[in-house]
Amino acid sequence: MGLFFCFLGAISFGLLGTAFKAAERRKANAAGLVIACFAWPALIMLTRTLLLKSSVHLPGKVYVIAVVFGMCAAIASLAFQLSISIGKVTVGWLMMNLSAGIPAIVSIWVYHERLTLFKGVAFALIVISIGLLCYGQVMERRAVTEDPARGE
Amino acid sequence: MWFLLMLVILLTNGMSSFGLKMLAAWGLPASVKYPYLTLWYTGGLVVIALPMLFKGMRLGKTEIGWGALAGVLSIGGQVAMAAALTAGVPGHVVFPIAIGGSIFLVALSARLVFGERMNTPTVLGVLLGLVAVVLLGLS
Repeated sequence: MGLFFCFLGAISFGLLGTAFKAAERRKANAAGLVIACFAWPALIMLTRTLLLKSSVHLPGKVYVIAVVFGMCAAIASLAFQLSISIGKVTVGWLMMNLSAGIPAIVSIWVYHERLTLFKGVAFALIVISIGLLCYGQVMERRAVTEDPARGE
Repeated sequence: MWFLLMLVILLTNGMSSFGLKMLAAWGLPASVKYPYLTLWYTGGLVVIALPMLFKGMRLGKTEIGWGALAGVLSIGGQVAMAAALTAGVPGHVVFPIAIGGSIFLVALSARLVFGERMNTPTVLGVLLGLVAVVLLGLS
């Protein structure tokens, strides 16, 4: 049953990336889409918070990091939505997931987490992957410049 | 422009999830995550909505509908992953399947539904990226 939920998660997130691309094809305004995308979960989380049995005291620093990191997420979503109108959705989606390497690096630096072999190899692969994706984009632009029909 | 957007995605999306790690490091109770996520979503909502409001832009049915679908799918994915973890599947199995699987599905739909073609360096970049994401999940 647990594995079924794993695959259900994969399908949900996969359909999420596909839904963003479908919305882009239907000329949805990128900023409007991000607003709607954040408004629904905000409402659900607010309801869940209000239903908590005991009141929770939030230290001031929690307010600050919540708002700052929430802003980061919204800016990332907007950048992703804008990027898929000029680039590939697979690359944009992969970049969203490769970004998991950033908190892993920050954790090693701030919390002195151990740099394991898996992490080290993953970081190296992320760098090579980003290099290849950028090179692929340059090649694509070059091909479109030489033959504009390919960009249509 | 594309390169700048990729850089923004990499840095901002990467850091957006770091707050939950900070909450855990501060030793705050688990119930804090609900008000935290309420503020998190609200902060994101405000930073995009305010400039739109000043520009006098309005949300259409397309944005509200697709945005709602995206919101449901996002929460559905989180709930499914949480259910898998609760069912006893270890994190190093849950995350690579859920994240790696989603990238594979997006690549498949991009090709079959939207007709996107990738050149050789992009295909290699996606494959290596997929391996990197799975390795990060395993670690």
